[in-house]
Amino acid sequence: MTAPLLIADLGRRGYGEVLSLQRDLCRRRVAGEITDDILLLVEHPPVVTLGRGTRATSLPLSADAIGARGVEVYEVERGGDVTWHGPGQLVGYPIVDLRQHREDLHWYLRELEGGLIDALTALGVAAERTPGLTGVWTGGRKIASIGIHVKQWVTFHGFALNVTSDLAGFGLIVPCGIHGVTMTSVARELGTPDDAAAADALWRGASGAVVAAVAHRLDRVPAPAGTTIVPAALEPA
Amino acid sequence: MATKVVMEALSPTMEEGRVVEWKKNEGDPIATGDVLAEVETDKAVMELVARAGGTLLKRVVPEGTTVPVSQLVAVIGDKGEDISALVGGGAGNGGPAAQTTKPVADTTAQRTSMPPAPPAAAATESTAPAPRPAPPPGVSPAPSRPGASPTAAAAPGDGDRVKASPLARKIAAERGLDLHGVAGSGPAGRIIQRDLEGVAARPAPGPAARAPQVPAVQPVPAGEPFRDVPLTQIRKTIARRLSQSIGPIPTFYLTTEIDMERVAEARDALNARGEGRISFNDITIKATALALRQHPACNAWWQDDHIRYWAEVHISMAVAIEDGLITPVIRHADQKSLRQISAEAKDLAGRARERRLKPEEYTGGTFSISNLGMLDIDEFTAVINPPEAGILAVGRLAEKAVVEDGTVAVRRRMRITMSCDHRVIDGATGAEFLKTLKAMLENPLALVW
Repeated sequence: MTAPLLIADLGRRGYGEVLSLQRDLCRRRVAGEITDDILLLVEHPPVVTLGRGTRATSLPLSADAIGARGVEVYEVERGGDVTWHGPGQLVGYPIVDLRQHREDLHWYLRELEGGLIDALTALGVAAERTPGLTGVWTGGRKIASIGIHVKQWVTFHGFALNVTSDLAGFGLIVPCGIHGVTMTSVARELGTPDDAAAADALWRGASGAVVAAVAHRLDRVPAPAGTTIVPAALEPA
Repeated sequence: MATKVVMEALSPTMEEGRVVEWKKNEGDPIATGDVLAEVETDKAVMELVARAGGTLLKRVVPEGTTVPVSQLVAVIGDKGEDISALVGGGAGNGGPAAQTTKPVADTTAQRTSMPPAPPAAAATESTAPAPRPAPPPGVSPAPSRPGASPTAAAAPGDGDRVKASPLARKIAAERGLDLHGVAGSGPAGRIIQRDLEGVAARPAPGPAARAPQVPAVQPVPAGEPFRDVPLTQIRKTIARRLSQSIGPIPTFYLTTEIDMERVAEARDALNARGEGRISFNDITIKATALALRQHPACNAWWQDDHIRYWAEVHISMAVAIEDGLITPVIRHADQKSLRQISAEAKDLAGRARERRLKPEEYTGGTFSISNLGMLDIDEFTAVINPPEAGILAVGRLAEKAVVEDGTVAVRRRMRITMSCDHRVIDGATGAEFLKTLKAMLENPLALVW
C-alpha cells in the first residue's frame, strides 16, 4: 500500500506561526515522532522573506521602509533569494524525509518544479523550467518560486504559486534576486475575471491540482492530516 | 588525529556548494552530529554535520564562499594539534596554477583542482560563484570547421555525449549534421548555434541520419536581443587579477569635459516652442544611448562566466527617493525622441518617488546615468549598478573660461565621469565611447541625424 501524504490546509495564516509549526514538524520528523510525509498549504498576509542567498541588491527598499508599509520582513533558513508572499498566493510546505525517497536535493527541487508544472498544465497554463533558475516559468515570466531547507534529510519551506496574487507586492523587492524578472499569476495567464467567485473557484482548482501533482511526484496518496500534526489552534477557521 | 571536513555532495549532480553560515567558531568543542555550517546549493539549504568529535581547529573558508564538492572546508581535531600539513598544501588550496586545462565535464578534476574563491570577493559579494575551470585554450572563440579537433565536443569521460545547446541540436537534426567533431564556443565548450555555421552536412550516425533539408548555412536570426560571448583566456585573467586588486568590481574612472554651448542653445530653442521643457538630463540620456549604439562594447553585463552584450539600449536613470535611490529604466532610449524621453523620465521619476514603480520598470537596464548637476556638483564618481558594466556620473553646467583659437572665451561646460567595470570595458574602449558622446553633445545635430 502506498504511504500517505498528510495534507493540512491551514487557510489564511500569519507567516510566523506557520514557520514555527514547520520547524516543529521538521524536528518531530527528524526525532521519529512523525513517520509520514506532510504537505502544509497556506495563504499568507503580505510578507517579504529573505532566504540565505539574498543579495543586497535584491531589496531596493530598506527592510524598515518595507515594514513601514505594513509588510513584515522575515530572515529565514531556506535557500534562495528574497521573495514575497501575500493574498492569492498558494504556499506549500512539504515536510518530507528524503531518506525515504532519494538523498538528493536536486532531485527533490526538480520534483517540486515538476509537480507544479503538472498542476499548472491541469489548470491550462503551459509552464516550464528554466535551467539554472529554480522555479517555474511560463513564457519567460515567473509563476512559482521554490526555496527549501533540509535538516538531516527532512525538508521544510517549499514553494509559492501565484494563483490570483496582486503582483504589485513583488514591486517591493527584486524577486529571487533576478533583475529583470517579470512575475505572473495563474489568473493573469488565464485571463480569469476579477471577481470573487471566479477567484475562489480558481483557488480551489489550484489547491486540488497542486495536492494531486505533488503527491503523485512523491509517490504518496493524499490523506487529511489529523490534530496530532496540526494543533487545534492552527486549524483553519 | 585531525579529521578533514569537506564540502559534501547533497545531490549526485551537485558540483559546488556555498557556505552560508558557520554555526561553530574555531576553538569550539564539537560532538559528532553537531551542525558545523549551513550550505546552499541551488535553492536548497542544508546543514553540514560533524562526522567526528573534538575541537573545531580551523574554518578553512569564510562565510559566503562557494567551494567544489569534496574540498576541505574545516578541520576538527585535538586542541593544539598541528594541522599545518592539512590546511597548508592540501587539495584545493593550490594557486591559480591548479586551474589547468581540464575540461569542465570532468567533475573529478574540478573537485580536486579548483582553488577556493578569493576570500575578499567572497566576503563582499557572497553570491559570486567560484571561478570555473578554464576550458582548453583555443576552444573558446575558435571558428569551427568540419573535422575540427574534437576536444570540446567530446571531453574525456563524456562518452558519446556531446555538449550542445537545444537550438544547436535542433538545427543539427534539421540539417543532418553530426555534432561530434564540432568545436563548441559556448560556456564550457558547449556547441551553440554559431558553431554550426559552415559545418557541412553529413549523415549523423545511427537511424536518425537523413538528408539535409535546408541550406547548409543559416543566417543568424535577426532580432536576437543579446549575444553571449564566452570569456577568452586574457579576459579571465584580467577579471581575476583586477578583482583581487580592487574588489569584486574592478572599477576605473574616465573623466571628460564637454562644451555644452550648442546643447544649451538647442535646448533653449526647443523649450521656446512651448511644447514642454527638455532638460539637460534628457539630452544626456539620448546622447548616451546613441553613443552606446555605436559602442556596443560598453552596453554589456558582466555575467561571471561570460559577458552579455545587449543589442538593445536601456538606460537606467538613478533617481533619489526618500530613503535611498532606485534606477528606473528608459527602454530603447536610442530610438526615442527627446520629447518621449523627457516625458518618460518625468513619469518614471515621479512614480519612483511615490514608490509606484513596477519591477519591470526598474530592472533590465543595460547602462546607468546618475546626474547630480542640479545639486550643484561639479563632478563625481558613481558606483556601478551590477551587472551593468558602466555608469555615467554627470556634473553641473558651469560657465568657464576656456582658451579657443588663442583667445579666452566664456563657455558653458559640463564634466562627466564614467565608471567602468574593467572586466568588461578596457580603458581605451571606455575612452572611445566617451569621445563619441562628447562629439555628439558638442554637435547636438548628431542627436537627430
